[in-house]
Amino acid sequence: MSKEARMRATINQKLTEMGERERLKELLRAKLTECGWKDQMKAHCKEVIKEKGLEHVTVEDLVVEITPKGRALVPDSVKKELLHRIRAFLAQHATV
Amino acid sequence: MKMEEVSMSSLDNSKLEGLAQDILSDLVEDACLGLCFEVHRAVKQGYFFLDDTDQESMRDFEIVDQPGLDVFGQVYNQWKNKECVCPNCSRSIAASRFAPHLEKCLGMGRNSSRIANRRIVTGNNTNNKSESDQEDNDDVNDNDWSYGAEKKAKKRKSDKVCFFNYKKSVVEFPHLYINSVLVYLFVHL
Repeated sequence: MSKEARMRATINQKLTEMGERERLKELLRAKLTECGWKDQMKAHCKEVIKEKGLEHVTVEDLVVEITPKGRALVPDSVKKELLHRIRAFLAQHATV
Repeated sequence: MKMEEVSMSSLDNSKLEGLAQDILSDLVEDACLGLCFEVHRAVKQGYFFLDDTDQESMRDFEIVDQPGLDVFGQVYNQWKNKECVCPNCSRSIAASRFAPHLEKCLGMGRNSSRIANRRIVTGNNTNNKSESDQEDNDDVNDNDWSYGAEKKAKKRKSDKVCFFNYKKSVVEFPHLYINSVLVYLFVHL
């Protein structure tokens, strides 16, 4: 395992252990609901379901349709805020 | 197993930035998947389309935004200028003054009893006709609130109070009463 890979593993472990990952998840969810992203995506889901048929739609269908669009539609302000918090965490914990 | 410690100096800032982006990407994907699961469950359980209504009925209940109307479209100040006829005195009264007028007219409600009470008091003080005397006698026999009975009861109470005070003062300030006691003894011995 390279130094970089080890560092990544350490960081990820710390993120989870310290509860920061959960907090970031909650923060992201709240921000996305606030800015209307969730409603937008739900509307898109409705279209997909009407297309595929209510009875036959599967999780896979939804994932394939929703995820790319979801990633693209996240507003920049939300991304910036989350990145800010992640960088702060890294600055604190990426050192020895 | 001890995790090997890694130092910052061997890493570029760009690598850290890349790591931050990856973490963000993971979080966003997590959120999307969460949404997919939520929607899929709602679809299969049958409550996903529950809050949809057709356009027709939506238009029926739209919020009204015109001057002079409330949000339901009703006129809210149409009773301002109307007049009502009092069933007691058959006078025409304005709608907003109707309730207080009715109170006084029928002799019910808090204020009308206060006014009547006041009239009785002034009637007792200034009027010495037999009419008011009769009223007085009636009041005395009444066990409920009445001016005459209150007066008598009050007087008795004040007498009792005076008596207690006298006794108390003798007990508390005996030196003030010694003079009178000495005089008494002097006279009788």
